[in-house]
Amino acid sequence: MSALTEIYVDNVTRHLPEDSRPDIAAEITATIDDMVDARLGEDADSSPDHTATVEREVLEELGDPVALSREYSNSPQHLIGPNSYPLYIWALRWVLPIVGLLAVLTNIVTTIAVSPGVQIGEIIGKTAGNTVIALLTAFAVITIIIGLGDPGRDGGAADSLRKRKPGTWTIDDLDRRDSHSKQIRAEAGLGLVFIVALAAIPFIPTTLLYVGHLNDGETFVNPDLGVGWLLGYWAFLALMAAVEVIKFTTASAKPTVAIIGGIVDIAMAVFLTIALLTQPVLHPELTNTANADFQQIITVIAIWIIVIWDQVSTWRIYRRNRR
Amino acid sequence: MNEDEDKALATHEQELRRGTVVFASLVACRRPQYGYSLLTTLTEAGIATEANTLYPLLRRLEKQGLLTSVWNTEQARPRKYYTLTDSGAEVAAALHRHWLELNSSITKLWKDGTP
Repeated sequence: MSALTEIYVDNVTRHLPEDSRPDIAAEITATIDDMVDARLGEDADSSPDHTATVEREVLEELGDPVALSREYSNSPQHLIGPNSYPLYIWALRWVLPIVGLLAVLTNIVTTIAVSPGVQIGEIIGKTAGNTVIALLTAFAVITIIIGLGDPGRDGGAADSLRKRKPGTWTIDDLDRRDSHSKQIRAEAGLGLVFIVALAAIPFIPTTLLYVGHLNDGETFVNPDLGVGWLLGYWAFLALMAAVEVIKFTTASAKPTVAIIGGIVDIAMAVFLTIALLTQPVLHPELTNTANADFQQIITVIAIWIIVIWDQVSTWRIYRRNRR
Repeated sequence: MNEDEDKALATHEQELRRGTVVFASLVACRRPQYGYSLLTTLTEAGIATEANTLYPLLRRLEKQGLLTSVWNTEQARPRKYYTLTDSGAEVAAALHRHWLELNSSITKLWKDGTP
């Protein structure tokens, strides 16, 4: 497949739902190759220039990739357009588990802190109820933000079509930007936002989550925690940020970068596990009960669930992109 | 014909062709066909079809359960072959009956209206 055909196929499939893209891309590519071969078979001239000219003719005969994409998708019937859909799914996969785990943790910690003699049933009841509300709110916020920010529910295809007069499309109108690169950049950008949020955790006061009464509005993190631990925490975050910056600037998800990212994530998880199991990392006022150890263990489990989730997700994306 | 009549004719021909291409594709897919072979088959049969409408149409017919597809990777170039399903064969047969009835009706109408 030539670079031009690859760009054309990418222009068609970027407006389509993600699960149908590989199949349609393979079919269009085979068609273009067949059409080019059929035309070249009729000619005596098989020079590279002539082949390139025939390829351009074939692509222009297939016409505007946006129009072809519209033929495939029939009509847009979704709130999130295909352009934003991968980002939407990625955001849901990341944000919902994190929100869920944070909601569970916060509820367990605050319930135990406020009522030391509380029954396990009450903890489960309160936690489940509040976690469901938190998950629904996060889902709604993500859907509204990405839905409103979408250039068009069909991936901007309708806008592109409206701007162009019918029958005037030429190969020079191809959008040469790679949609795959845009997705990697968007994911890396969101990753950096998460990392900045994680870096700010030691400074976040409990009043921000309306539980300031538990420790007079101090931070969630133990103020007596050694500076070395905090510096180590930020150093790991800086490494994670460096990986995301590499992904953002190169706009590619090379296996080497993915492996380095995975190693940094696991090293960070090990660091946090040691920190949490050897000293009170959370503010003592939040954990000064008989269940303090239990809270720390829950936090460690939550960290490992997130890390494993991230590794599985990265591996699945890598496998999908390799196909 | 003047320019307006040409435009009107082109529009009506396009509408006529749209339905015909669906029927013709079903008929042609009684034998396994990949996209380009179907395009060639239809063109040689005198049913002008554009590639950019044919391929999406094949997928729609597949979604409707009238065609089934399978990738053949044994050749140098992987190709997706479409074949008529049992349900597709029934629909094609019914369309063929309607086609013959329509042809007969139009012929009769034409004869009756000819001065």
